Amino acid sequence: MDIFTIVFWVVAIVLTIVSLLRNKKKTFAAMKKSKGMMGNMLSDIVAIIFLIGLVLTFIPPETIKSVLGSANTLMSTVVSALVGSITLIPAFVAFPLVGSLVDAGASIIPGVAFLTTLTMVGVVTFPLEKKEFGAKFALTRNVLSFGFAIIIALTMGVIL
Amino acid sequence: MKTVSMIKKNKLLVLVALAYVVVLTISPEKAMSSVENSLYYLIEMLQVLPVIFLLTVVLESLVPKEVIMRGFGEKSGFKGNLLALLLGSISAGPIYAAFPISKTLLGKGASISNIVIILSTWAVVKVPMLANEAKFLGVNFMVIRWVLTVIAIFAMAYITGKFIKKKDLPADANKHMTLEIRADYCIGCGLCVKMLPEYYEMNNNKAVVCRSPDPKEALDLVKESIIKCPSQAIVFSEEEKAS
Repeated sequence: MDIFTIVFWVVAIVLTIVSLLRNKKKTFAAMKKSKGMMGNMLSDIVAIIFLIGLVLTFIPPETIKSVLGSANTLMSTVVSALVGSITLIPAFVAFPLVGSLVDAGASIIPGVAFLTTLTMVGVVTFPLEKKEFGAKFALTRNVLSFGFAIIIALTMGVIL
Repeated sequence: MKTVSMIKKNKLLVLVALAYVVVLTISPEKAMSSVENSLYYLIEMLQVLPVIFLLTVVLESLVPKEVIMRGFGEKSGFKGNLLALLLGSISAGPIYAAFPISKTLLGKGASISNIVIILSTWAVVKVPMLANEAKFLGVNFMVIRWVLTVIAIFAMAYITGKFIKKKDLPADANKHMTLEIRADYCIGCGLCVKMLPEYYEMNNNKAVVCRSPDPKEALDLVKESIIKCPSQAIVFSEEEKAS
């Protein structure tokens, strides 16, 4: 567990105790409500986690690396953004991967597109986002994120 | 009937389980390595979800609606956006962990723009991740990408806020739902009882509602039963709960 998660645990537990001391009844009512809300999400979250495992097996980091490093920058930028949208690899794998490519002389544009869609666009989490916030919201947010990821990548290509 | 609604409720899980069965029959190795890959995320979920649960509880019970409205509401302006950026940045865990928090904030009056900011920064901006990025790609790279991303997130928040209104979002627990069957219209065909035995039952050859609908689990099903009813005897209404 990283330090941030630990701090989160401590803060959450302390605040819960404060809430319990202040108003037991209200806290229990809130717990019931949250339990209902998160219980509804839980099966989707577990599904998403196992879906990520499946995607990672079929699109391993080596494949991603070959896409990111391909010669045609424009094509590989779009494909990298797509791959980033579908996969959800841990950041501590993604950064060294892109770093090694940049060190080897590849263009940074596909790498940035990949890193940005990796976290901002979620194809795998889309069903859950749609269920909780509606199709219009989820679609708008993900499509915009995809577009802006490409813009960010191109801008960085110009600046750096 | 019960299994059908179970499958409907857990559609994604069923689909993923089916995918695993297919992969397992074709290549057991690949299925095994998929499970192994999932383990990291499973552990991450177990570390984060209980905290998210407690935080939604605390938000619900300790923070008054007015505070959220002032901080993140429609009129909170740029200051609200910055606050949302800060909240998203100090977060922990993957994007799905942001969903319950965002839902609770929405229910308490946060604006759509600010929810977009919280969700996006939650996913993208994380302090340990920034350090990692600087280490492998250089401080310059990290700072420029961060600045551009924050600008993009603000632009997205603005556009989404223009496009999407609160009524586009699914009904949530804030709404009060009433479901009833007008007895003088009901012809006693029993169709609704067959469709949703959890909600309707027969009484003296007329259908009656036996449970009030849970907005999250059965809204679609209930709406379907309203359309299917041959004599249009089922009435459903929702209104904002005064709280």
